Order: sequence, then structure tokens, then C-alpha cells
Amino acid sequence: MSGFQDARALPKDTVLTPDLAIIGGGPAGISLALALAESGQNILLLESGGRTFEADVQKLYEGSQTGVPYIALDGGRLRYLGGSTNHWGGWTRPLDKIDFETRKGLPLFGWPFGRDAIEPYFSRAQSLIEAGPWVYDEAGETNSDNGPLLRLGPGGLYTSWFQFSKTRDNNLPTHFGDRYQADLAKAAHITPLLNANVTAIRLSPDAGRVAQLDVATLSGNRLTVKPRYTVLAAGAIECARLMLASNDVMTAGVGNGNDLVGRFFADHPIPRNVATMVMFDGAIAPIYLNNVARPDGAVMRAVLSPRPEFMRAHGVAGSLTTVENEVKLDPFATAAVVTTAQALGVDASRAKAYSLGCGMEMAPDPDRRLTLGTERDALGMPRLNLHMTIADDDFTLFRQTLTELGRQLLAAKSGMLHISYNRRDEWLEAMDWGNHHLGTTRMHSDPKQGVVDANSKVHGIGNLYVAGSSVFPTYGSSNPTLNLVALTLRLADHLKKVMA
Amino acid sequence: MTRRGILAGLVAVLAAAGGAAWKFRLFAKQYPPTPYDDLLGQIVDREPAIVFGRAARKSMPGAAQLAAGLRRDHRSLAERAAAEPGEAQIAEVAGWIVPQSVALYAALAAQA
Repeated sequence: MSGFQDARALPKDTVLTPDLAIIGGGPAGISLALALAESGQNILLLESGGRTFEADVQKLYEGSQTGVPYIALDGGRLRYLGGSTNHWGGWTRPLDKIDFETRKGLPLFGWPFGRDAIEPYFSRAQSLIEAGPWVYDEAGETNSDNGPLLRLGPGGLYTSWFQFSKTRDNNLPTHFGDRYQADLAKAAHITPLLNANVTAIRLSPDAGRVAQLDVATLSGNRLTVKPRYTVLAAGAIECARLMLASNDVMTAGVGNGNDLVGRFFADHPIPRNVATMVMFDGAIAPIYLNNVARPDGAVMRAVLSPRPEFMRAHGVAGSLTTVENEVKLDPFATAAVVTTAQALGVDASRAKAYSLGCGMEMAPDPDRRLTLGTERDALGMPRLNLHMTIADDDFTLFRQTLTELGRQLLAAKSGMLHISYNRRDEWLEAMDWGNHHLGTTRMHSDPKQGVVDANSKVHGIGNLYVAGSSVFPTYGSSNPTLNLVALTLRLADHLKKVMA
Repeated sequence: MTRRGILAGLVAVLAAAGGAAWKFRLFAKQYPPTPYDDLLGQIVDREPAIVFGRAARKSMPGAAQLAAGLRRDHRSLAERAAAEPGEAQIAEVAGWIVPQSVALYAALAAQA
């Protein structure tokens, strides 16, 4: 069997026996299936939705929330082929080397390997997300065709670079379902099964292996899948839900012997208008304000990043600060600018001000977690509750980074900075989120500290793996798609070996 | 003397008077003398400094103590403001990151 199938149309109680079942047809699941297409293994790609958005399918994502206000659980992700790439913004950037390090003063930070472990996969991941040639921070000063880079004094921040995913005809960005459905359809050993909701992972009696998957459709059909290997690729919220809800053999849930599944949920906080940056001469290169296409096809935007040396020295987490749009200064702000510029001996008669945005890294928090609720969805699966937190330290550390940016502008006599928020309630009032769901099946070599090992295999279960950003033990500030695809390609290489 | 000559002379006199008024700040706002005029004189434009200084002075000592502290550093405001960001001598005033001396001089201006 290959080519797209619809679970609603299969005979009731069909039993499928693929070599590999991939649960979830988003960027991780599709990348994994395509990477293994020539492996000779029969792959079943189980996608809950169809090829387009359907409200009753999306409703399966609903859940409840406590703690800090956060986006509704059915609001930040999409349940159909292509998953959340169907609404992503296309911002792309590799994690930095420091994002993988254990960090002094920042408990729970660090991966079981360095960036060099996924470095070989970045090129193919870049190609899959169609972000053009690999440039990023190698751009350095070469983007000066788009105007001079921001003049900063020596210090903790520098101009770094985002790139953007783009599909043919320059449409931003790549929707994995649309883009790769033809490749999936023609792959001899891949069967994408639509409208197929995995409702339980059934373990062997000794809990050492996945024995079968229960599959249900909203139309009432029931199927069974008995795969040799299984990869969960359903996103950080749904992976945790399925593991927690599959509790007939392991009573705390699959892979949850150490009460870690669903904990450490994270996202990138993106509070709006975090600061106002004044340029004394009014000038800023357009590439800070807008995405700019280079002749080589890379679509880029300049942002401000903390240097690893600064992050280590001051114990700050990652952040990416963006320049958003020109704003007007009030009389007090004008007085601040005139007084400072005159003291520095700088002409500020043409000064302009710009609002700044950001993407912040949160520190891992075990209490920021997903748990099963009492309500059930249309398929009988328990809905989730998310308890959301954000620590005061997360704001304090980012504030240190902004202060350093202000200092560097003054040192260069190029401008100055106003930080918008001081109190927790001010930060929360301005809060938005990246919809980058991370961390709920975190990776760690020690089963007491992580759900999956360094190969993304669930500790203690021989044939169950997790792909996607749920395995990120710490998060960096880069958007996750490129990185989760690279990590998935690494998993594909591992599976080729173990499944052979 | 021709009418053109008279007009040219008049323009020259007015220009000289304007220049002198600008140079000696005849139309600038006059401030009563203070014991800190040696310091306040270094502020190019005192009005915005006073506005900014009202926020800066909230966490500062009184004018006399402030002035004494400023006089202990023998550098001018301009020298200090240029050097301090490189020395990590910065202050935050109502969210604005400024050289420490700018906050101190502005606070003094608001109190004087």
C-alpha cells in the first residue's frame, strides 16, 4: 500500500503492520518520512486531519489553562497535513552553539550534545524549508548594500541575521503539506493516512516496547497499527497528551516513569514594544525594519543578538531583538534625547525613534506543564490542562541585555535606548507568544532528567522515538522549525541504522 | 550715499546685532545665579535638562551634595559623558539608559 489513503474509507478493524509508524504529518513527520523514503522500510504517516483545515478536527486540540495567560491550546497550532507550518511566519535561524551548553547560573540548561551533532543536517533542513542559500551570521558586513549596519560600541550585542522560508513564486513561507504532498504520494514505501487519529499507544506487558497503536476517525472507524518502530511527531502539546493518556500499562503514562512527560513546556515570549531606540542621525538600514531579498535568493532581516561571551559572563538567556517601526517621542523623551545628545556633543536635530520587539528564551521550569484534564474530546481522549508560568528572572535577564544595547549605542554616540517595562504586570500586559511549543518530552541522557535520550528514543522503550521541538531541553531564541527539521534528519539517520 | 548703500549698511548692522545677541545669548532664558553655575554652565540647553532632571533627581541626593560629588571628578560633562558608556558607568532614568553624568547634571539642573 502506498499513496494517500483516508482512514475513514478503510474497512473497520483493519490492522496495518508498517515498519515505521510516524504520528503526525507536520514538518517533523513529513521530513522524517521523506528522509526514509529510499530506506526500503514501509512507512505509515498518520495524520489526524485532511489536506485542509476542518473545524471539527481542530476542535480536538481544545484544552484548559491555568497560570499566566497564554494562547488557547487550539489557537496556536493547526491539525491538518503540514501541521503548524500552515500558519508559520517563515522566520528561520539555527540555534547557536551556546544554546546547547550547560550554563553557569542557569540550572537545567544544556543538551546532551553540542551543535556539531546537528550541524551536518542544517543544509538539507535549509533546503526542505526553502530558505535559500545558507547565509545567516556569515552575512556579517556583506549586507551593507542594504545600508550600513547599526553602529554599536564594543560590547554584548551584535547584528545577527534571520532568513525566511519561501516557496515557489516567492510566496512566504513553505507549507509542508502543500509543498510535499506530491513527493509523499509518489514515494513507493510511504503511505500517508489522513483523518487517522492515534488515540492510544499500547505497550507490551513489560512496558519495554510499543505493541500497537489505536487509531480512530471522527466518522467512527477504528483501526489498529502494529509497527516495528514508532515516532511521535505530533508537536510538543499533542505528543505529551498521547503519552500521558496511554496509561494502561505504565499508569503514569508512556515514558513517564519519572514524572517528566508534559513538564518543561515552553514557548518564546515575544512582548511587544519592549524598548524605544533613538538614532541620533535618524538613519537605520531598511534591512532592520523589513525582510530584504538578496540577489542570491536569501531573504534576510537584521536583528540584535547577545554575544555568547556576554551571555556567559552575565548569565543571561538568549534573545533576538527586532526593530519594528518608527514612533514619535513625547516631550519628556525629547528632553532625554536632547540632553544626552548635547552632552555627547552629537547633533540630534534629525533624530528618529524606533520601537523594538523581541523573542526571548525562557528558563526551563518543571511546573510549566501539561496534565490530563477531566473532560474528553469527541474521540474520548482526555483533554489537556496547561499550567503556564514565566519567571521574573526571565524578564530581568532580558532587561540586562537591553541595558547593554543602550550602553553600546551611547558608546558609539549613535543613539540611545528607552526600556519600556520594569514591573512584571507591565511585561505581561505587553505579552505575545511565538507559538513555538517546546520541551515537553525533553532530551537528557539521564532518564531521571529527560524523557528521551540523545537519539530521541524514549527512555526504557525500545521502539518509540519522538521527533520535533518537544525534545528541546533548552530552547535558545531562534525559531524552531529549521532546528527541529535538522534534528529530525539526524533521527532519520539513526533509524536507518537501527531498523536495518 | 545711495539708497542701496544705506540698505546694505542697515542689513550689516542688523546682522551684527543678531550675531551678538546669539553669541551672548541675549534672548536665551536667563536663570538666577546659583552656587552651581560652574557645573550648570556645561549644560548646553538647560530647559530640556530640567525636564529630564525632574525624573533623574528622584533617586539622587540634594543639590549641594550632588554638586560636591560632580566637582570631585575633574572631567567636564562632555568628557565624562563620552567616556562613561565605555566604562559601564551608566544610569537608568525613567527607562532611559544614559551616561551617569548626564543623569547627575540633569538632576542638579532640576534642583538648582
